[in-house]
Amino acid sequence: MTGRIDLTTDIGTLGRRTLLGAAAATALTRPTRAQAKTQLTMTVWGAQAEQDAFNAIIAKYQAAHPDVAIKLEVFGNGMQLYQQVDTRLAGRQAPDIFRVQYQQIGRYASARAVADMSKFIDKDYGSAFGPAFWNAVSYKGRPYAIPHHTDTFALYYNRDMLAKIGVEAPSSLEKSWSWEEFIRIARAMKEKGGAPYGFAMSWQNAAYRWLPFLYQHGGTLLNADLTRAVLANQAGVGTIGWTQSWFKEGLVPPSTSIKSSEQPQALFANGTIGLLLAGDWQIPFLNGNMTKWGWGVTYMPRDVAMASDLGGNCLTVSRDAKNPEIAADVVKFFCNEENMRDFVVNAQFLPVRKALMAEKLPYKLRPDAMQVFVEQSATIPDHLVSTVTMPNFSKINAVLTDQFDLAFTSGQDPAATAKAIDEQTQALLA
Amino acid sequence: MGTMAARWAKRRHKLVPYVFIAPNVVLFTAFSFLPLLYAVYISFFDWSLIGDAEWLGVGNYTRLMRDPLFWRALVNTLLYALATVPTGMAIGLALALALNRKLPGRTFIRSIYFLPVVVSAVATGTIAAWLFNDNYGVINSILVRLGGSRVAWLSTPQWALPSIAIATLWVRSGFNMVVYLAALQSIPRIYYEAARIDGASATRQFLHVTLPLLGPATFLLLVLDIIHSFQVFDLIYVMTGGGPGFSTTMVVQYIYKSAFVTSEMGYASAMGVALYVLILAFTIVQWRASRQKENVL
Repeated sequence: MTGRIDLTTDIGTLGRRTLLGAAAATALTRPTRAQAKTQLTMTVWGAQAEQDAFNAIIAKYQAAHPDVAIKLEVFGNGMQLYQQVDTRLAGRQAPDIFRVQYQQIGRYASARAVADMSKFIDKDYGSAFGPAFWNAVSYKGRPYAIPHHTDTFALYYNRDMLAKIGVEAPSSLEKSWSWEEFIRIARAMKEKGGAPYGFAMSWQNAAYRWLPFLYQHGGTLLNADLTRAVLANQAGVGTIGWTQSWFKEGLVPPSTSIKSSEQPQALFANGTIGLLLAGDWQIPFLNGNMTKWGWGVTYMPRDVAMASDLGGNCLTVSRDAKNPEIAADVVKFFCNEENMRDFVVNAQFLPVRKALMAEKLPYKLRPDAMQVFVEQSATIPDHLVSTVTMPNFSKINAVLTDQFDLAFTSGQDPAATAKAIDEQTQALLA
Repeated sequence: MGTMAARWAKRRHKLVPYVFIAPNVVLFTAFSFLPLLYAVYISFFDWSLIGDAEWLGVGNYTRLMRDPLFWRALVNTLLYALATVPTGMAIGLALALALNRKLPGRTFIRSIYFLPVVVSAVATGTIAAWLFNDNYGVINSILVRLGGSRVAWLSTPQWALPSIAIATLWVRSGFNMVVYLAALQSIPRIYYEAARIDGASATRQFLHVTLPLLGPATFLLLVLDIIHSFQVFDLIYVMTGGGPGFSTTMVVQYIYKSAFVTSEMGYASAMGVALYVLILAFTIVQWRASRQKENVL
């Protein structure tokens, strides 16, 4: 395999040399031609606000380093990016830098498909980041990416509909609605608020976003040392039953199950639902598209505990990077304090550096709503972070996707669902 | 000299067809045949695409035989083929018959039916997903206006496959229509004249002249439509993602999921090989049946 790949690389280099002459010769590090630029490719996905934020920081880096040119490639979503990057890694043609979710970095790190970043950073570099995020990018004690930002879930509400049913949104994390209160309000939204459905959860093709409800109910998917699946107990079956009841009772649109391609934020913007459980990155969309009603953000509902989702991404250097030192320097530049602040403020995300986490940031859109997400992010359970950043979590996530969709759309019994998840997850842990 | 020139002329004559097919052969070999052989090779490995491959022998194939989801996907694929192939061909034939006569705006109408064939399947899938959307889809709006109630087309296991079948008919019928139109126009008019002189009614002319002479076109469409239905992917990927539950998970859906969601390229390749063998077997059976029929005729 290595032979084939080396051959491909050689042919590629020769072809470029023939075609581009002097420019490509510099890529072969001939000192006499050292004037040509180092070309880097950076692959990301994201909405317009994110693309603009990426481009602004790239421009800044290029201004400070005129010998480096960075080409930004943008995909529609993470799934498309992983498909592309994986295929290109197989052909030894991966982009130099790419964006990865915390849930996926373990997969690349365990396959040694990305560079060990410890070669490019000081020993105490990681201590400036929130420990949960630094742990999320580490595999066997070494970092394979640099945390770039995070995001989490909270509860969006239609301000006019909530006023119509005579309810006020909780004003602090401690006052967040209990599961019972949340369901009562969702029913009222449907019966008196004027929405055809009470609410929807934004977990389409992201089954792991179900996990915060499990932690709220006192359960976990895996045991403390992540060696055994433990969903088939009272907390696990109870949480599946509760989330299944949303569909059974008609509180959520049937089209908002896990495998659906529905866009719940569109249903919220057009008044089909009165409440929306979703992440902070929906703020720009709602700001531009929810024109008929006012909206606000409050905290996730809670049961015996509070919990929310670990979202966000890190930046990593692929094993195919021709100039890993320069690529790592770009990643570090993106994740320094000043640029992280710029990125999260302009693209509506949460920072992952301790210094910024303590700061009240001047968000471009709806700073009031962002404050709720900042507070909510403190409720992300450490055990949830350890679970979703396991190297083979993407396989466990596929099991959750299949089984939850069966429970929500085909009435599969909660106990049978929990048992099936445990059995299939256990096989993946073995 | 003379003999050499003659020999060269003869050889050139023989070489010309190869030159003509060469671009196609080269492209087919590079992008279909070699990847197919490579897929057979990697079907014997456990390979995540980004890591090292591990030899499994026939492990992926034994797993395949015992995997209930693979069989479910196969049954779904057969159901989908049954629902779309005969109906799509019948609609295509009906459209071809209707548009094979002189009508005002005939070319325009033909183009409208053929349009979904040339448009990207992802675009037609997105349009179909909007049409069938439970909450803001046009189909439900019409149903409500006619006094009916909303149907959860893409969110209930019983309606999802029929919705996809309807969307497929919308896309495939245009293709079937064009093939049938070409076949209809190649039937010599004298056969109909002879049948009329013998007193055959329009129905009898259709049953005993048109249908038998459309035989080769029907065979071609049967093979192409079955292969197409076995390979359906983009429409379903966009409309339902294989759900609700597993109700619209087809074999290619499962291959995609194994390859790119759970990173099991070896297992995905084993399923690809199984699907290849199945399609090949179907095609051989149909080809033999068609040849026997031709011999009888």
